[in-house]
Amino acid sequence: MSRLDEHAEIREQLALFVAGALEADAESRVALHLATCADCSAELEGWQLVTGGLRRLPTPQAPAALFERTRALAMAQLAEHREQRRNRIVLTLLILFSWAVTLAGWPIFRFATGGLLSLLDVNFRQTWLLFVVFSAGTWLAGGSAAVLLSLGRQHERRLV
Amino acid sequence: MAASIASVWEGRLGIDAAVLQLRRGDPDALATLMARYQHRIYRYLLRLVRQPADAEDLFQQTWIRVAEKIRSFDTSRNFDAWLFTLARNLALDHLRRRRPSSLEGSSGGDSPEDTMVSRLRSADPGPFEQLLARERAGRLAVALESLPLSCREVLTLRFEEEMKIEEIALVLATPVATVKSRLYRSLAQLRQILETGAGGEVRA
Repeated sequence: MSRLDEHAEIREQLALFVAGALEADAESRVALHLATCADCSAELEGWQLVTGGLRRLPTPQAPAALFERTRALAMAQLAEHREQRRNRIVLTLLILFSWAVTLAGWPIFRFATGGLLSLLDVNFRQTWLLFVVFSAGTWLAGGSAAVLLSLGRQHERRLV
Repeated sequence: MAASIASVWEGRLGIDAAVLQLRRGDPDALATLMARYQHRIYRYLLRLVRQPADAEDLFQQTWIRVAEKIRSFDTSRNFDAWLFTLARNLALDHLRRRRPSSLEGSSGGDSPEDTMVSRLRSADPGPFEQLLARERAGRLAVALESLPLSCREVLTLRFEEEMKIEEIALVLATPVATVKSRLYRSLAQLRQILETGAGGEVRA
């Protein structure tokens, strides 16, 4: 590469050089060239005036009232999320508990009422059906209550 | 590029304790982070939207979004880049809703008297040297404001926020090479405006 070509190429890189955006090897080449080229050094000063000015621009300050207002809003948001997370955990535990009770209830029910059912001549198929109807009814009532609560909550949020 | 971006993430693995505490829902950590980043986020938003009232609105939205999304923040990543990306996305949505053409960077605002530049000019007077410096800063701020959005944001991220090129690439979701070419173009436009005194509209 001729000296003239190198000069033109380096000159093109001066803006990125002052911006610290060149790779290490390119940066070294520019630094070497600058040591011997007064023209590029003068050009570099022009770029440094621009970038130095940008670095020294006064920082606009966020108003104190804005900070306080935002902090209160963000805290409220954080608290709401915490509550939602806690509610989800409680709901999950309740569902697991309900399933455990439902599944454990059947053998307990059969064991506890075995003698009585035999007296009433209720056979296995009938107890099984009773159990299914009872469980389905319970879950249907629980599900309906959850939907109603959720709708009510959404309505409350819209009002807020 | 992937390697350089990965090195930025790895360099930030010493995660801020306040970020970890906030992920666990600690309100004090939110206050700590807000105090630390408030002026930087406000300045960045002001550079993007130019109107202080809009910047204040977006500032609020940004921190509410932080409170909403902090649990989804991956602690192996760069919190600064994540935070500035949130702010940027909100600002771009705002500009799109308000006036799609503003994304291209017109120099006019709804109330030019209340812009970032007017704030700089109306600051308290000080000694003579400070006034001169303020005058120069005012001229530079005028020139910066007249640049398109893509130029303003890359300049403020590099020279005011002092982010590395790789970090800027993460915030802007663009390759490092694009950031460099945008940086070069932005500096060239800014210098041209300052040297020729042309403060009019400049488009990328």
